[in-house]
Amino acid sequence: MSYKSKRNLISMVVGVLLIIAYTIYAFGKASPAPDDLKTWAVALLIFIGISVVVTIVIHILFHIGLAVGMAVKEKENDDKKVERIIESSMYEDERDKLINLKSSHIGSACAGVGFVAGLIALALGISAVVVLHIIAGAFAVGSIIEGCVGIYLDERGVRNG
Amino acid sequence: MGKKLTITNKIRTLRFFANEMTQLELAEKAGASRQTIMALEAGKYTPSLELAFRIADVFNVPIGEVFECIKEENNND
Repeated sequence: MSYKSKRNLISMVVGVLLIIAYTIYAFGKASPAPDDLKTWAVALLIFIGISVVVTIVIHILFHIGLAVGMAVKEKENDDKKVERIIESSMYEDERDKLINLKSSHIGSACAGVGFVAGLIALALGISAVVVLHIIAGAFAVGSIIEGCVGIYLDERGVRNG
Repeated sequence: MGKKLTITNKIRTLRFFANEMTQLELAEKAGASRQTIMALEAGKYTPSLELAFRIADVFNVPIGEVFECIKEENNND
């Protein structure tokens, strides 16, 4: 598995863990009242903030782990060669941009479907709190699907055009 | 619809004749990542025209000597 696939996998795992954490909070005793839209919105904003911080920290730790792992794996080579291998693995070129573009298209489509589903739910008279969670959930699932597609294209191959 | 085109390459052979140039060296010289060179050699990626020219330039050969296009007969036609 390449560096980019591993990075995508880490992001997906973090995303899934954050969704589980939020679900535990939402169904727990500390959750706001079902009709308290403002408090739910604040809770979602806090979780978005936490997810950004956690993702950054996990990525920093992943990079450190990768560098150490690569240094151990390539111990017969000198430090400069190991540095070059790491640099080349992290370098984002046209293939990575193409994979990112294709995977983000699918992720955005999923988020869009969730948004429309939220609007339909609102039109059917379902409470605003549920609609808020449908939309937030669609974005979260969309980002996980984006990661899956990224790994799939990275491993299976991608074509221009 | 036109015929299906399959693009193959001789990067592995050219690396061999360039003093067994490593994928890392080629990647650095062509301005790509090592994964892209690996994917190219495995036939899992078709490069842009710009990258194709840059790779040919590294080996100092015309682009046609690196990449080859095979036209496949389409049974639906």
